[in-house]
Amino acid sequence: MSEEKNIVSRRSVLKGAAVGGAALAAGSSLSAGTASAATRLKGSTVKWTTRGGGATGDAIAKAVNDAFTKKTGAKVVAQQVNSDDFQNNFAQIMQGSPDDAFGWMAGYRSNHFGELGLLEDLTREINRLKGSLPTAAIKGATSPVSKKPYIIPTTYYPWGLHYRKSMVKDIGMNPEKINNWDDFVKLMTLTQKKGLVGYSLGAKGGWEAMGTFDILNARVNGYKYHIDLLNGRAKWTDARTKETFKYFAQLIPFMNENVIDISWDGMRDLLLQKKTGAMMMGSWFANDFKAKSQADYDDLWVVPFPEINPKFGVDTIDAPLDGISVAKNGKNVEGGKALAEFWASPEGIAQAVKAGDTNIYVSKSFDTSSYDAFNKQKLAVLASAKNIMFFLDRDARGDFAGPIVGPAIQNFIKKPSDINKILENVQAQWDALPKN
Amino acid sequence: MKSAATVQKKRSRRSLSKTDRFTLATFVGIPTLLQIILLWVPAVVTIILSFTYWNGIRLKDIQWAGIQNYKNIFVNNPLFYQALKNNAIWLAFFVVIATPLGILLAYQIDRGIKGHAFYESIYYLPVVLSLAVIGIIWNFMLQPGGFVQGLMGRDIGNAISIWGNPKINTWVILGIASWRHIGYIMLLYLSGLKSVDPALKEAAAIDGATDWEIFRKIILPTMQPVNIIIVVITLIESLRAFDLVYIIYGSPTIFPLLNLLVFQNFAGQGISMKGAAYAVILLILCIVPIITYLRISFQEDLK
Repeated sequence: MSEEKNIVSRRSVLKGAAVGGAALAAGSSLSAGTASAATRLKGSTVKWTTRGGGATGDAIAKAVNDAFTKKTGAKVVAQQVNSDDFQNNFAQIMQGSPDDAFGWMAGYRSNHFGELGLLEDLTREINRLKGSLPTAAIKGATSPVSKKPYIIPTTYYPWGLHYRKSMVKDIGMNPEKINNWDDFVKLMTLTQKKGLVGYSLGAKGGWEAMGTFDILNARVNGYKYHIDLLNGRAKWTDARTKETFKYFAQLIPFMNENVIDISWDGMRDLLLQKKTGAMMMGSWFANDFKAKSQADYDDLWVVPFPEINPKFGVDTIDAPLDGISVAKNGKNVEGGKALAEFWASPEGIAQAVKAGDTNIYVSKSFDTSSYDAFNKQKLAVLASAKNIMFFLDRDARGDFAGPIVGPAIQNFIKKPSDINKILENVQAQWDALPKN
Repeated sequence: MKSAATVQKKRSRRSLSKTDRFTLATFVGIPTLLQIILLWVPAVVTIILSFTYWNGIRLKDIQWAGIQNYKNIFVNNPLFYQALKNNAIWLAFFVVIATPLGILLAYQIDRGIKGHAFYESIYYLPVVLSLAVIGIIWNFMLQPGGFVQGLMGRDIGNAISIWGNPKINTWVILGIASWRHIGYIMLLYLSGLKSVDPALKEAAAIDGATDWEIFRKIILPTMQPVNIIIVVITLIESLRAFDLVYIIYGSPTIFPLLNLLVFQNFAGQGISMKGAAYAVILLILCIVPIITYLRISFQEDLK
């Protein structure tokens, strides 16, 4: 219930984009906190890891870290790592000699490692940032088990239905009005009639199609059922889960025939080359449209995945939350915590944005007044939902999502008629997981 | 006889000087020690861990699981049987097609057919590349948006499904793996053939033996040591297949192999001791046939 309240507050923030200034003032109370730390940190070295992002990622890190050095006198040594490698070796890195602070992901990925004693509890830092962080974001960053936050939330992005306005116009529909399941099916049918792909999907990486499953399940059975399912409180063999897969199966005739062959970048290229009607994807790929041409970018649009069950409407969205975590085994834990706090503070965010960061920050200080139409639409899509999921592989345990659910969805796409057997196997494998 | 033998044994033992003994101890002892520490200790630990639940992080979290991991694999996981099937097909394909083809090529090149040096270098070329690099090359050509798809006028939207199509992906992958395996076997066999005394072949030819008879009755038996190596290599290469498929697909298992399942469940975010159980299953599958085969071959030698 408190979550609903938080969303309202967030929405009001988003509506009045100009409130940025007011929130900045609220954020200034934090400076007092870091100022006392500054004397202690002076002369020490803090190590920072950026996960991917190429040259822009490095530029952002440099801008924020330099500002931190200026403020506290602590030196920051930064490195950029391959995001997937870092993620896959996370436990090993954290048990070795990790960098003090690093960009990381909320949900199971921080809660799990936090509870295993690899990440620092950041309650104190988050309390100091309370003026600028919405409570919904804080709640999202807090482990439901230990009730401690192991990450300071910074950015998030929506998973929505993406399409090109020009293509929707071409088939005689209004791109601003793709609201319900019928519109959606009509869009796919008409696009397919033109010899194109109605709904593009990839599943090569095992995770891309999870986005479609997440949203279908949330639309058909609601947020609570979905989260219960991912945490073992509902059954994969339940008729309600099967109902979700019935909707999934309805989409298959509209899909490209090489779903298992392509990954998210293949999906992106299909839309970029005007070969698909619609796709469900995280909005992060929009930068690639911009890189191609402004016209392509202006043509891109995103809406919430259409309603299926009126009981739930479009009340749920996959919006993975990212943030900064601090390693327990770091050499300079205090410095790491101060740096993490700085990255999530209004000052740090301002530096990041200046250096070219196009992410949407959860902070109330984040100024969206200069946003273009697509980014404003992203905010609107986020604001349309009252429940936020973090994506299947962050909402469910790691030894379940990747090795069990991923292949199950791939097998379903290969042979939809096998669904009952597939779901029985998934449930049996869940039941066989160690309880902890 | 008996006493003479023991005398000789004693003498040979005595004849080892201090330096000899030291050298022997160093050259046998150190590799054995390393082998035990780096190979057998981890292997035994893996076997023990395969009977536990653990996420690989804190030792105190290890819980006894009994045979649950194995039960889960054998009873609940369809991927295991898909992987077993794929590995079996891989092995059969190598045994029946790729390895014999390599031997045939070696034989033909050794006979000095026209342009043999040219063929030799062509077939040997892929062996220089690791399977990972081969995976990158073929993926680049065959994936949607890839080179070959482009030549056929297919873009990402209507690209022919190759990696994801269960009807053909096995054969495409085996073709690519054989591309390298054939050259490898050819090279091994060729080096063996070079050491076969040509006089033997000539003598047989004069006696009126056909090519096939010469190959079967003269070359194959004289090549016994190389044959053993080739059988073992074919077995191991088929069972441990991993890199090529991993490069093409990544860790998710559209084309499951036992080694991929080990990796998927033992490394990265999906870590559980099911991975250890898969590793033990794979170890048994590799070790049992190889030991059996080696014992039989060496016993024949002793006779």
